[in-house]
Amino acid sequence: MTPGILLAIAFGGAFITYLAGKISEKVRDILAVLVSLALVGIVALLYNISSRSTLYTGFLDLPLILRVNTLSWFFAITVAIVGSLSVIFSLSYIKEKERTDFYYLMILLVNASMLGIVFSGDLILFYIFWEIMSWSTFLLISYNRGPALSAGMKYIIMSVAGSVAMLIGMLSLYSYYDTFTIAELSDHLSSASPGFVLFIFILFFIAFGIKNAVWPFHTWLPPAHSEAPSPFSAILSGILVRMGMYGFLVIFFVIAGIDLFLNLGKGIVRFNYILAWIGAINIIIPTFIAMLQNDSKRLLAWHGVGQGGYMVLGIAIGSSLGVAGGTFHIINHTSYIALLFLVVGAIEHRTRGIRDLNSLGGLIKKMPVTFFGALVGACGLIGIPLTNGFVSKWLIYKTLILNHYPFLAFAALLGTWGTILSLYKFLHNIFLGQLPEKYQTVNEAPFSMQIPIIILSLIIILFGILPGIPLKVINQIIMTSGLESLNITLWGITSETGILNTVNIFAAIFVVAVIVWLIFKAGRKEIKVGQDDNYAAGAFIPEEKYHYTVDFYNPLYRMITPYLRDFVDDFYQRLARGVKNLGNGIRRIYTGDVGYYVMYIILFLALLIFVQINWKVW
Amino acid sequence: MTTILEIILIIFTAIIVGLFFLGLSRKVIARIHWRYGPPIVQPVIDIIKLFNQTGVSHGTLFNFGIIFSLAGSVVVLLFLPLGKICPLSSSGGLLVILYLMLIAPLGLALSGGEAANPNASIGISRKFLLAMGYEVPLLLIFLAVMTHYNTISIVEIVNKQIRTGWSFQHIPLLLSGIAYILILPAIIGLRPFEMIQAPQEISSGPMTEYGGKFLALTTIQHAFNVFIGISLFVNLFLGGAENPGYFFLKMLGVFIIFLFVNAVFPRLRIEQAIRYLWKWPTLLAFAGLIIVMITS
Repeated sequence: MTPGILLAIAFGGAFITYLAGKISEKVRDILAVLVSLALVGIVALLYNISSRSTLYTGFLDLPLILRVNTLSWFFAITVAIVGSLSVIFSLSYIKEKERTDFYYLMILLVNASMLGIVFSGDLILFYIFWEIMSWSTFLLISYNRGPALSAGMKYIIMSVAGSVAMLIGMLSLYSYYDTFTIAELSDHLSSASPGFVLFIFILFFIAFGIKNAVWPFHTWLPPAHSEAPSPFSAILSGILVRMGMYGFLVIFFVIAGIDLFLNLGKGIVRFNYILAWIGAINIIIPTFIAMLQNDSKRLLAWHGVGQGGYMVLGIAIGSSLGVAGGTFHIINHTSYIALLFLVVGAIEHRTRGIRDLNSLGGLIKKMPVTFFGALVGACGLIGIPLTNGFVSKWLIYKTLILNHYPFLAFAALLGTWGTILSLYKFLHNIFLGQLPEKYQTVNEAPFSMQIPIIILSLIIILFGILPGIPLKVINQIIMTSGLESLNITLWGITSETGILNTVNIFAAIFVVAVIVWLIFKAGRKEIKVGQDDNYAAGAFIPEEKYHYTVDFYNPLYRMITPYLRDFVDDFYQRLARGVKNLGNGIRRIYTGDVGYYVMYIILFLALLIFVQINWKVW
Repeated sequence: MTTILEIILIIFTAIIVGLFFLGLSRKVIARIHWRYGPPIVQPVIDIIKLFNQTGVSHGTLFNFGIIFSLAGSVVVLLFLPLGKICPLSSSGGLLVILYLMLIAPLGLALSGGEAANPNASIGISRKFLLAMGYEVPLLLIFLAVMTHYNTISIVEIVNKQIRTGWSFQHIPLLLSGIAYILILPAIIGLRPFEMIQAPQEISSGPMTEYGGKFLALTTIQHAFNVFIGISLFVNLFLGGAENPGYFFLKMLGVFIIFLFVNAVFPRLRIEQAIRYLWKWPTLLAFAGLIIVMITS
């Protein structure tokens, strides 16, 4: 198996699925699932293979290279799994919508291009796949039309700005070293001057930071995530955005190398230290904004921005623990944010597109499996022990404390509390509390929606109890980037400065829970009553439902809202208005009337003659 | 084998001490109010009685939320050194405790949420807001302690205090310690931070729907909560202790001081509480962390 065949199947499959849709919807659905599952299988076969092959040399005599290593495999398997789960989920989600063939084509194309990105061994191929990904994402974000169009426009404008930055970075590298190959660039760049390295870093930071929604480039993400179709939001927030993280890892650790990355600058004006602070800001502000959201997908989208901060923070510290934590957090985030978006999708599907947190409620009685998924996903996002989110956050906190960055650690820990508040609101307003009359007839999500939800829940718990499975792969990535290897066991990490043993924690919680359950059973049996049979301490219970959801954290809102305006977005909006006004101004000069242009030419000539007569320049 | 014995010993000590504290608090407050008050064992009598009464359940999550909440509290106990006894010290440190402490409120919140009673939802919302309020200074304090002793293991922190004196005797940690004292009533839910239950206002908040064995289990959970809150303070700032008896005496001292505060203060509103918690305790804790960073 080579990555060449993989990409051929991925791209070919996408187009064949599209054509099949013209013949029969059933065939298309089966084909889409088969292609996405085949990709999972093929990527799995590539495990532990390290290869490098030249695909094509005809393009301006530059070699286009495909390569496989642990880093690319790690991202590829995540892409393939999330992609296939999302396609399975789409089967019922997208059924009654229009332009379904187009939807499947785009979603498979996005998948294929992400696989292309992680397997490309030179920057030209990387850039080509990057652009395919950006544009097909744009088409999918604006799939629903209406407000989705402006969300998509916001995304693509920022995305193009990022691409331009990447192009400048690539061309400056090429003009210095005459190559686009990642392997050769990494040999050259270690001897470059610090100024040049900083220049390259900043350009690529803009390019990948926009995709990764790093503050202050995050503004495209919340509208884009909330307007895209939910199964695609799962891919978008889960892994597509994290292609930016892949880019960071490649540019900082593979091309530049760890020594260069850690020693750029002096004292507190080091590149990686500033990057770490950007990560910390990226955790706090979006997490607090998430608490104020009333749209379920927008709430999750802001968390998507916030969790990105943990990854940036982890890799910016540049210690083995930090990089391991940051990298591990990427796949953890993928698993639980994808799960939560799918849950929202299932609810949207059953309630006919309701995303407003203030109008739902009590759905746990109707959709227990979906609730289970939401609960596990929420625990993962918060980082409750026994979910994978806990382990990666623990690694990041530990490295921050032991490397004496307590204020960064404070930012990271505080983010957790913001997460709890907003996610409890998410769970409570959708699933708990009183069930409104109009949702009495809602059913559980269809089976094809339950499968991805259950699989992702199991992954979250499995990696939480046995974090050694993914950490072994991550350890290989760390070693290849020149960092010390970690002492990984199946149940966590052993080191002199603090141990984590998740299996012991699991055993303790499990045994204690069973004992408490037995005590609970030993008491007199309870009677089950419905939601209307409420105790109200003599207070009046109104006839209509009284579900406490609107302004769930009202006292806090009033305190913090004035400080939580998205100043960055305001700035971009002002910038956009400015550009528009400038354009309007320019249009007054370029009227399109030939007479004006003739006048300009004559005026210009007159100016030249005037200058020549007065000063005799020529 | 000794580990299992230790685990059982810790759980029983925590139940007994926690329930004793609850009984004591009613007695002490009654005396301050010039009443006689119930006997100190009243909470134990209540629990036995409640286990024999029929409770009302609102669904599976309603039951399991409480079970997980209680299990979460018990597991936290196993990570906290009680004197020299700490059975799970080798499985994680203060960071794990910090996160395990989330399970108890979350379990109770999920359970109370399914009760579909607006009073419960209001109480839960207040609980999370209050937690947001005191976590800000608390995290700064924890980080100051961890940075000062350069470890994330709580056993190590206690050992270092036994060798070099209580954290209060370490000058850099003084401000953090004062901040901790200022927020401790909020952590263990004593007045003036009692707005979560507020019986006269939202009829006990999250507890509204609990009766029978549910109420019994939440009472035990409350007892554990008081025990954990105080023992964390004793371990981090009052030097822990060589033996459980001495440890218990330290806890009792701390608890009685806060009972006096509890008896004479009225209840704050939630936004007043957050404003207070984010002002002086946070400023002190922030200054404390900076001092620790400079001196270490």
